[in-house]
Amino acid sequence: MFRIAIKDLKLFAADKRAMLLTFLLPIALISLFAMAFGGSGKRESRPMELVVADEDKTEHSRNMISRIDSLKEFEVVLTALDTAERLIKKGDANAALVLHKGFSDSMTKDALLPVELKYDAAREMETGILQGALAGAFMRITGNKSMIAQAIRNFDAQNPGMDSAVRGMIHQQIAGNFQGPSSQPVITATPLVAEKENSPGLVQAVAGTAIMMLLFSVAGMGASLLDEKQEGTLKKLLYSPMHPNNILYGKMLSVNILSIIQLIVLFLFAWLVFGLNIFQNIPALALMILATAFACSSFGVFLASFAKSRSQVQGVSTLIILTMSAVGGSMIPLFVMPLWMQKMAVISVNYWGIQGFYDIFWRMLPVTDPVFLTRIAVLIAIGIVLNLISVVLYKKNVLQIA
Amino acid sequence: MMITVTGLRKSYGNTEALKGVSFSIQEGEFFGLLGPNGAGKTTTISIMSTVLDPDSGEVSIAGHDLKKDPLGCKRAIGVVPQEIALYNDLSAYDNLLFWGSLYDVPGAELKNRIDSTLQLFGLADRKKDKVNTYSGGMKRRINIASALLHRPRILFMDEPTVGIDPQSRNLIFEVIEKLHKEGMTIVYTTHYMEEAERFCDRIAIIDKGSIIAQGTLQELRQNSGIRECIVVSLSGIDAQLSQRLAASLGEQARISDCTLNYYSADVKKDLSGLILKCSEAGADIAHIDIRKVNLEAIFLQLTGKQLRD
Repeated sequence: MFRIAIKDLKLFAADKRAMLLTFLLPIALISLFAMAFGGSGKRESRPMELVVADEDKTEHSRNMISRIDSLKEFEVVLTALDTAERLIKKGDANAALVLHKGFSDSMTKDALLPVELKYDAAREMETGILQGALAGAFMRITGNKSMIAQAIRNFDAQNPGMDSAVRGMIHQQIAGNFQGPSSQPVITATPLVAEKENSPGLVQAVAGTAIMMLLFSVAGMGASLLDEKQEGTLKKLLYSPMHPNNILYGKMLSVNILSIIQLIVLFLFAWLVFGLNIFQNIPALALMILATAFACSSFGVFLASFAKSRSQVQGVSTLIILTMSAVGGSMIPLFVMPLWMQKMAVISVNYWGIQGFYDIFWRMLPVTDPVFLTRIAVLIAIGIVLNLISVVLYKKNVLQIA
Repeated sequence: MMITVTGLRKSYGNTEALKGVSFSIQEGEFFGLLGPNGAGKTTTISIMSTVLDPDSGEVSIAGHDLKKDPLGCKRAIGVVPQEIALYNDLSAYDNLLFWGSLYDVPGAELKNRIDSTLQLFGLADRKKDKVNTYSGGMKRRINIASALLHRPRILFMDEPTVGIDPQSRNLIFEVIEKLHKEGMTIVYTTHYMEEAERFCDRIAIIDKGSIIAQGTLQELRQNSGIRECIVVSLSGIDAQLSQRLAASLGEQARISDCTLNYYSADVKKDLSGLILKCSEAGADIAHIDIRKVNLEAIFLQLTGKQLRD
């Protein structure tokens, strides 16, 4: 068994094309997806670019713009109104905040502010997010002052004959009541999953792509069993005193080793180039790599035992791997999919692997966490079942020599 | 006996590939198994080399019963398959290291054997080169070498010289003769009659799943009843002359166009008389050839087919 595995590893090392497909192609795809899904590993909330047109051009309007710009959510791009409108029409900006003439007067009189958000209707979703963030910001900047003034006006109207000294004390009390809560957002958002070193986009890109590409690699490696049959080396192996099953076990071992190497190389690449912190939970990562490699390599050997030729393996594996990758979250993050598809994802190896890596890099579950261990157990169970089926199919399909 | 095969039967569905094949091979014997395609040679070799189970029959290899002790049989044999079964992306040395290691030859000893085997096959200077850079003949040599590293007592060789250059063929012949001289038992299948005639101590001819003749070449000749033929090319012969000549030579002569075939039990004795009678009849002799009773003719007579059909 070990001799077969060593021979297979030597053959793999001698095959430049296989090396390219196993390492360089996944690295290229991971790079592409990592850049598309969120760049570097360090998760930083980048400010939203906000186009602002100041039509009022007063001290108040400039002050408001400056205060918005000082907020970490926004990065103000000040421009003329017509330019702002042109940017929206060209698709270079999704919305622009316009402070119309009279803004300063309204501020002074605590009246309704002449503020308008012009936007591209085709990008309504982004505009909605921007609108919500802007409303919060305006509340924080203007909220207290106008609300205190409105409350005092209401009190004075309801108590016209009050002594001026008492009125003054009550006015102070009203203002004091607004000091605390009004400076806070109305709803306090407490993230359950706090900001981490690793971006979820990067985890998705690395784990999703690595598992999908691993499945393609192992399908190719497994198919070498059929090459051996076609080229006569399998028959020659059967002439030797080695037990026929050892040929399959040797193949399983070599595919497993290569799968582990491939995953390690891809995670090291993600660490080196994109800063994915792979060292925060090494035992969990090691366990997950082993379990994922085992499940995926078993799938490759299963395909080879099931098919009758390499071309059959290629056809069937492409279909199955693309389906599993689409359903399991390798191509598109699961949360984007409808609920019924998210439920279906559990049928794929990809799902269990990707979620396991999310557990490590994003949810930061300890290696002893039952959820994490369940994923490991499922991957190992998938591997065992596929290997058992492979042994039966290998005897039936592959060992038909004469 | 080194190999004993008794009443071997094997069917694939409704097709009976072997119909009770029996033969035996002595230690150190060079045994040829000849037959047209589909005759049952490969099935017989596959059963003897333990990769195919027979439906019935007994096989004993080097004293090991095939059913009871297949592992003992495997250790006693080396198989040179017809196809070049090597890993093209590995060097010749790595190929031999791998194939030799399957028979548990100790590391240092295996390396010594690889070096001496490569020397024997004239490939020592190319041992580090990948097999895919080798010519067909060189690959054939490595294919044979890989079956010899565990020093088997019996060597099965299935068409070992198909499609190779004369240099490689001669080298392989030399190695085969050396192995035979050293006492190795060799079972050889080939389409080349001259190889069978040159090497085989005994020959079995198999057709449609049955052994139809076996023995030494001399025994096969005698049993075939075929006579040697004197082929005379005549010039200036017409129909009248042809009839006159046929009448004077008797039933042993066949004249067609300008060729006279004379079947003789004793060529040396009949040749001079034949030339004289042609001369007396007025026929000019352009060329004379003696067609001996070779394996090709015996095979043709027994199976009705050319060996390469």
